[in-house]
Order: sequence, then structure tokens, then C-alpha cells
Amino acid sequence: MTAQQLVRLYPPGWKTRYGDEFVAMVGGDRLSVQQVIDIVSGAIDAWMSSEARRAGAAAPAGAQQGGTMRALSFVCVDSKLRYSPRDAAIGGFVILGASALFAGLGFLARRGGLSVTSEFLHVAGLPAALTLSMPFWILKGQSRRVQLAVVGATLAVAVVVTLV
Amino acid sequence: MKPTKPLRESLDDLGRFSEPALLILISLADGPKHGYGMTQDIAAMSGQKLGPGTLYGAITRLEARKWIEALPAEDRRRPYRLTGAGQRVLRARLASLQAMTRIGKSRLAEG
Repeated sequence: MTAQQLVRLYPPGWKTRYGDEFVAMVGGDRLSVQQVIDIVSGAIDAWMSSEARRAGAAAPAGAQQGGTMRALSFVCVDSKLRYSPRDAAIGGFVILGASALFAGLGFLARRGGLSVTSEFLHVAGLPAALTLSMPFWILKGQSRRVQLAVVGATLAVAVVVTLV
Repeated sequence: MKPTKPLRESLDDLGRFSEPALLILISLADGPKHGYGMTQDIAAMSGQKLGPGTLYGAITRLEARKWIEALPAEDRRRPYRLTGAGQRVLRARLASLQAMTRIGKSRLAEG
């Protein structure tokens, strides 16, 4: 996996502003597992941070935005969305529970000699858990269809990016 | 249009990025550097190797607060430099750390 592939996980505005220099800094070599985790965590953080999402606001017009990310960006930037402390608690519980589940499955896979599956579960576990929690906060108030589409597409992108 | 938030003046507001941000400000205190230069400099002075996601998470926040600013890109690499506001924040944090160090040392000496 390379920085060029992982940078696609970042919000469009952030990619427009920092994408080139980020890829130039990391280089085109295959990344270590620690680097992959650091970059995926950075991408999750960028989606959660209004500063990072706004980073490309002053960037040149005509910047490219991918379909899934554009949809997600629309949902994230919608300032009308509201969620309560209870929603946040449920979302947090889902993140913790799903992370623990993926970590447990990864552990079992390693014990079963499935090292590739184990590494995949460890790398993709946190982003997948975060994605599964979205209907309880970022996507709250959206129709079930939109929630399914955004969560499904994000999970599909995460799986593809992790496997490539 | 929503009013812009006032600039915050403490590194503590950066949460888990406050330490990487401090290291970046220290790194830029002796002149502009691009991302790779910062990671090398920070590794040399502190022994910490900042991951690219962490480095750019901190850079994003520092630039949003106008504590650092980007210079024109050089062959896809963009150097950053410390601003006046960034210098003030860095001085304040270093003074606070110095005071903490002094107190800690004196308590250790007493004990």
C-alpha cells in the first residue's frame, strides 16, 4: 500500500490543499503497518475536524472530488445535523465494540495461521468501526437509504484500499 | 455566513496534536522547513519519529490558527515558516515548560 492510495481517504478539501506535498513527503514506497495506521488515523481525524475539512476552501477551483467522498463531505459539512450526548455515547459504544470485535477476529485469524486476514482485520478494524458508528452521529437524521449508501460505500473503499 | 471563530492562543487546544505541534513549532524556530525536513529535525532533536498522518494533522491545525504559514512549493514539497503569532505561542509554552521543570527539579532536590 502506498501514500498515493491512502491519501484518497482524506476529505477533498484537505487533499486539494495538502495531498501533493503529503505524497511527495511520504514517497512512493510501500508503507509499513505503523505508517498505514498513522495515515488512516489521520484521515479519520481529518474527516472529524472542521479545520481539516475546510483546509481546501481557498484552493484553486476545479479540484477533483470522488463520488463517495463528495457524498460524505456533503453529509459532514451539513451544519443542520445535530446529535445528543446519548447519540455520541451510542456511537462511541459501537466504535469500541466493533473495534474489539475486529481485533478479536484478527487475533483468532492469526492463531489460525491466516496472517493476511489477521493483518487486514487489524488495519481495517478501526476505520470500519468508525464507519459503522456513523449512523448514530454524523449521519443521524439522514434516511436509511443514505446511511446504507454512505456506510456501504465507505466500507467498500476502505476494504479495497486496504487490500490493494 | 457564520462568524469566524477567534484564534485560540494555547497549544492545549490541539488535544492529542499538542505535542507534535510543539515539536513542529520548535523545528521551525530556526527557519522554514518542509514536511520531510521537519520529521528529520524532530527525530534528531527529540528521538521521536512523527508519522505522516500525525505530522500533517498538526500542520493542518497550526496553519488554520495562523501559527505557521506555507511558502511557495519547491518541487511539490511545500516549506512552512513560523509566524509572529506562532512565535508568541511557542514562547509561552516554553516558558511554562521551563517553570514546570524548575518546580519539578526543586521538588526532587527536596525529596
